[in-house]
Amino acid sequence: MTGSTKKPRGAVLLDLDRSVVGSEFDRTVLDPVTADEIREYASFTGEPVGVNKAGIMTAPASFVLRMRGKRFMPRNLPDLGRSGFDAGKDIEILGDVHPGDVLTTVSTVHDLYEKTGRSGAMTFLVLRSVITNQKGERVAVIDQRMMFR
Amino acid sequence: MASPKTHKNDLDVGNDLLRLRITLSSEQVRGYAVAARMPGGRFESDAAAQREGLPGQIVPGNLSIALFCRLIAESLPGAKLQRLNATFRGIVRPGEPLSLHGVVTERREETSGVFLECDLVLESTEGERRVTGTATVLL
Repeated sequence: MTGSTKKPRGAVLLDLDRSVVGSEFDRTVLDPVTADEIREYASFTGEPVGVNKAGIMTAPASFVLRMRGKRFMPRNLPDLGRSGFDAGKDIEILGDVHPGDVLTTVSTVHDLYEKTGRSGAMTFLVLRSVITNQKGERVAVIDQRMMFR
Repeated sequence: MASPKTHKNDLDVGNDLLRLRITLSSEQVRGYAVAARMPGGRFESDAAAQREGLPGQIVPGNLSIALFCRLIAESLPGAKLQRLNATFRGIVRPGEPLSLHGVVTERREETSGVFLECDLVLESTEGERRVTGTATVLL
């Protein structure tokens, strides 16, 4: 959408400003992961806490979802509509997380697109978080799809 | 259909994963939201969620994804989850009996190992689908 112009119903498909796509809006270095955090997290999900070949505790797969930066949404978004909600996630798991790891999450606007469904026009915002460890190795890439209508 | 006792290395297209039946308590959802650093009244209590216009306390989408991860971990012990995609189709509430299940849709052997593609479903006991997903798993 352009500026503050009120969009006519169903007209969102024509003038979406995609200039924010590719912009970084958060970079956060998180506190070191602790064994207690991993155990506590797993106690609520029921996932097993693993041990690698070296005998070091490994966090459950979904633990990376806990790695959130300081800023959840970019500041410079165009007007996307009345209400937004979490439509889904795509998670790529590239490495293990262990106690003592210092993880960095870098978030960017990955995509912004529109679709028309049975209930009308919808705008999808995809926020990508790339999580790396203290060695610079990627441990996960998380795409969060937000839907606005 | 494979028996749930089928060894993971023998799983092939059409074989089912385990079926998990789970009812999340209000306390469990609240505890998860804290442990997962997900602030928000909607995850804390009915009253706080209703102030946000919701029917009551809801289960965070991330917890539904975690249940998919648990389904994979229990169905395929020792396997490595490589990718998981989840689409949220409806609200999941604490106190509601849930059924999680999955099926193998593809098996491929590569130089790095055997990979399974799985379709995943989290639904009410009446079969109303709340979250659907796909997973790629390295055996």
